Amino acid sequence: MNIRASLAALAVTAALVASAAAADDATVKKDLTAVIALQGLPCGQVTEVRTLGDNDYIASCQDGNRYHVFVNAQGRVVAQKQ
Amino acid sequence: MDLSGGHCSIVAALLAALLAVGCAGVKQSDTPSAPAVAPAAPTTPVAPGAAAVAAPTAPAATAPPPQPAASPAPPGQAAAKPAVKPGAAAAPPSAKAAPVAKAAPPPLDLKALETELRETKAIGVMTKLSLKNQVDDLLSQFRAFYQGKLKTTLAELRRPFDLLVLKLLSLLQDSDPALAAAIVMSREAIWGILSDRAKFASLDGG
Repeated sequence: MNIRASLAALAVTAALVASAAAADDATVKKDLTAVIALQGLPCGQVTEVRTLGDNDYIASCQDGNRYHVFVNAQGRVVAQKQ
Repeated sequence: MDLSGGHCSIVAALLAALLAVGCAGVKQSDTPSAPAVAPAAPTTPVAPGAAAVAAPTAPAATAPPPQPAASPAPPGQAAAKPAVKPGAAAAPPSAKAAPVAKAAPPPLDLKALETELRETKAIGVMTKLSLKNQVDDLLSQFRAFYQGKLKTTLAELRRPFDLLVLKLLSLLQDSDPALAAAIVMSREAIWGILSDRAKFASLDGG
């Protein structure tokens, strides 16, 4: 009985974590999409994101472009075409 | 520039930053001491090509049209009189008391605006930082302009200002329409500060 309850709790937790991660991922994509657009670079929408570090991402765009988006030492957001 | 609070960057979100108030100095080109100096501060709009922009100084809020036929409700029997009386003007006596017309100029609480921009969830951290970068760039342009280092006109500076506001609005309008509306209402007031050398200096300096 206890095992069942534990498993159920674990499953719920996993589901919550997964949905939170998905939401987070969507947020990052949206954020990067806006950043790239603000820089006036072609992209459309960001479809895939790889996190390299804090405020450091590789964003793959709908149109096939890829950008390294990061914050440089001067505090500027840079989107470098890959 | 401390990124620690990516949020700090936010700040700016245009306006607020425009005013460079809060968000921890972004002292880009610094040169703290040296107020004023520069001579060239032509507030002449000139604007050869710039069509709609118009004069930078207090655009709205001027000359409320006479508004003739706004006859306020007659005290008692309003609907009772169907007669239009073609000739007999019959101007209601109390036509003086309704000058209101335009909505009063926005209060422009920049502090609140800045806070809202910083805290809105409609814009991501990286986007806020990116916007702050652009706001800082614009402020640098104004600084250079007032110092005589940048040969341009206020009319020309209005364009990047408008563009930046539009970018911000496009980011906010769907997710945070209230804030977008607040920015729209404060837009001219912010421009009023940017386009006034003294106001800008006080903002920029402190």
